[in-house]
Amino acid sequence: MKTRFFALVLALAMLLSCTALADAPGIQPLTDAEGASVSMLAMNSWYSTVDLSDAVLLNEIQKRANVKIEWNLIDPTIYADTVSPMLASGQDLPDIIQLPDTDSNMTYLSTGMFVKLDEYLDKMPNYSYFLEKNPDIKAALTAPDGHIYYVPQTAVASTYQPVLMYNMPWIEKLGIEPPKTLDDFVAMLRRFRDEDMNGNGDATDEIPMSVQASFLPYMFGPAFGLDLVSGFYADEEGVVHYAAYESEKYKAYLTFLHDLYEEGLLEVEFTSLNRDQTTERFAKDLTGVTYDFSWQMSNLYSAQYPSYQADPSKGVVVGVPPLSGEYEVVYICRNAVSGIFGVNVKAKDVDLAVKFLDAAMSEEAQDLYVWGMQDLTYIINEAGEREYLPKCTEDAIWYQGLGINAPNMPSQQSAEATAVLLADWHVQAIADNEAPYARPPFPAVYSTTDEVSVISMYLTDLTTYVDERCVAFICGYASIEDEFDSYIETLKGMQVEELIKVKQAQWDRYAEAMK
Amino acid sequence: MAQLRTKQAATGPKKTLGQLISRDKYLLLMFLPVFIYYVVFCYLPMAGLTMAFQNFKMGSGFVGVFTGEWVGLKWFNQFFSSVFAWRLIRNTFLLSFYSLIFGFPIPIIFAICITQLRNKRIAKTAQVITYLPYFISTVVVVGMMTNFLSPSNGIINQLIKSCGGKAINFMSNPKWFRRLYVISGSWQSFGFNAIIFVAAIMGIDPALYEAMKVDGASRWQQIIHLIIPMIADTVILLLIMTLGNLLNVGFEKVYLMYSPAVYETGDVIATYVYRQGIENKNFSYSAAVGLFYSAVGFVFVMGSNALSRKVTGSSLW
Repeated sequence: MKTRFFALVLALAMLLSCTALADAPGIQPLTDAEGASVSMLAMNSWYSTVDLSDAVLLNEIQKRANVKIEWNLIDPTIYADTVSPMLASGQDLPDIIQLPDTDSNMTYLSTGMFVKLDEYLDKMPNYSYFLEKNPDIKAALTAPDGHIYYVPQTAVASTYQPVLMYNMPWIEKLGIEPPKTLDDFVAMLRRFRDEDMNGNGDATDEIPMSVQASFLPYMFGPAFGLDLVSGFYADEEGVVHYAAYESEKYKAYLTFLHDLYEEGLLEVEFTSLNRDQTTERFAKDLTGVTYDFSWQMSNLYSAQYPSYQADPSKGVVVGVPPLSGEYEVVYICRNAVSGIFGVNVKAKDVDLAVKFLDAAMSEEAQDLYVWGMQDLTYIINEAGEREYLPKCTEDAIWYQGLGINAPNMPSQQSAEATAVLLADWHVQAIADNEAPYARPPFPAVYSTTDEVSVISMYLTDLTTYVDERCVAFICGYASIEDEFDSYIETLKGMQVEELIKVKQAQWDRYAEAMK
Repeated sequence: MAQLRTKQAATGPKKTLGQLISRDKYLLLMFLPVFIYYVVFCYLPMAGLTMAFQNFKMGSGFVGVFTGEWVGLKWFNQFFSSVFAWRLIRNTFLLSFYSLIFGFPIPIIFAICITQLRNKRIAKTAQVITYLPYFISTVVVVGMMTNFLSPSNGIINQLIKSCGGKAINFMSNPKWFRRLYVISGSWQSFGFNAIIFVAAIMGIDPALYEAMKVDGASRWQQIIHLIIPMIADTVILLLIMTLGNLLNVGFEKVYLMYSPAVYETGDVIATYVYRQGIENKNFSYSAAVGLFYSAVGFVFVMGSNALSRKVTGSSLW
């Protein structure tokens, strides 16, 4: 009786695990053939000294799948410029291709060079499972013709985004609360500029704020009611606007930045400032404010301070809530899909390529991208939890070289996996000061053919013009008083209203799909 | 070719093509790589110019330039109705024009100065020092400029500040773009370009100097009445050849130096074509703009060659 019951339980358990397997079987050997291979064009590591063509974790996936990948890995900083001409020629392309962008204009999709993956979903159990679990991503990837062409790489979208960071010891020294409004913020910058904040006896060497030009729209746009990051945005009534064409608000934004520039609060060099310079300034304790991806606050900026190295339980450069002006405070985030992979219709074995992408999407593979392998990157501690080995944080080159968070695979970042790597105060700052204010950007929607022709005809010139006028107005090469009206007129002449119409139609489609 | 022809005329009876080839086989063999280079990289890609009149589709490759959908002058119309068209043409032209106006006389003046130095060792040293920058890569030159001109810790701005001035953000101020481009360009090339003039001056018969000295001509008079007339032919020939390349602004240098902040004066046709074509994948549009650019360049080359034939009697073809 007892054995029978046991057998029943066992059978039941096996049945259960079988159904679980049917959902997402992980990485299975994809072929019996010896030496089967798939060629793949993808990005190399963002670390310039790391080459991923022989990465341990990626080799492990190939071993488990019994497929050899012939890599063609290209430096990520030149990826788009290198790969788009290759795709334009359409010749000698590998089996699996990481696209240079998310193809929202359907430039590649409309050429018919990529396999319709939805027709292969029976061979892609892991990917089917993923799509079922993430209906929003499925919606974003479904082209207007109803097909799915790509496998996504996703990034954390609503947390771990660019945030405002203050040099906390300076703020404590001033004896103030961290500013939450533009007025308080400017008052604080003035004191940073005029007082000897770092206490080295020289009151002139402080640079109040070190923000790269690309982050200024994130930092100040929302306070003026503008989403300059997406450019186009929809208001509560669902009406689409172009931020740099909103006369009153945008003018106020430019005037504010121009005043900062004139006062020396926004440095003369802001257009060419880069992350290395900012880091150097923190290392010398010269600057009080920055705006950057939240990741940098503990691992890069705070780490420059000896006091932090001695006691890492409390951050030095810490993220704070966004600045409010007349409008609600928000942090503008990004869309989850950060990259896409497609299978070449001319692949030598389409089935095998599709199956490999599926294996690379599996949770088993995701686990490898995040955690690596036991005893290599982590151990199981007494509490039965995984714990990264110290080498992972000590030797970044080695760690990245294993293929962690592989940029050349359809890896899915998760907030949980990111949090594990960060100091507690950092995770707390994100939870308190960023997550509650996060707002999604303009959604990524596929454009129709007619929309593509309008976008490709007008958008590049428009953004070029907006970018250069923005700098000219802030630096005072052009006077906001005299030339702003002619700027708005020029935008009109550049068919900005046609573009707004297109984006309105896209927004309406998106809103419809979300219902 | 001209040499071959005279040689043939001298040797008398007309030879067949086969004989000519077998006679000059080594010369032809040496010429072969050049020939292949021009065919593969200059003539074959011209078939791609059809793209400028088509709606080129991604992925259609070389076949696409024959099978694409024809759209006539659509892309040209788009370019000329764009707010940037005039600015791009103006910037391209002015950058080359200023480079010519300020860059051309300097090597001549320098060559004259060098040859007038009595101490030959100093003359040689000065020449070597001035032509060395020519061999520095553009990337390095622009990197040096960025460093020297940095508003916070660049040496130039340190000097301005220590004299009580206000730091200037040279690299992102549209007013400064052309000056920096022209000055750095002249600095880099004047020593090298002077070599040909130095050679021309050295080639002047010393007897002429002797004669002038006997007549009591001062150094200044020697320069005005002997050296300048003697090198005038070389100067005009070089000037005309430079005119032909007037529109050929160095893409890589502009690309390295510019940013959206200085597009106003810095954006040239070549960089615009790059941004539109490679970065934004509007291949047909950028091919049309590029074709227009080449057509204007072609007119300049032909025009200056004709001018040269008329003025100096010598021309490239």
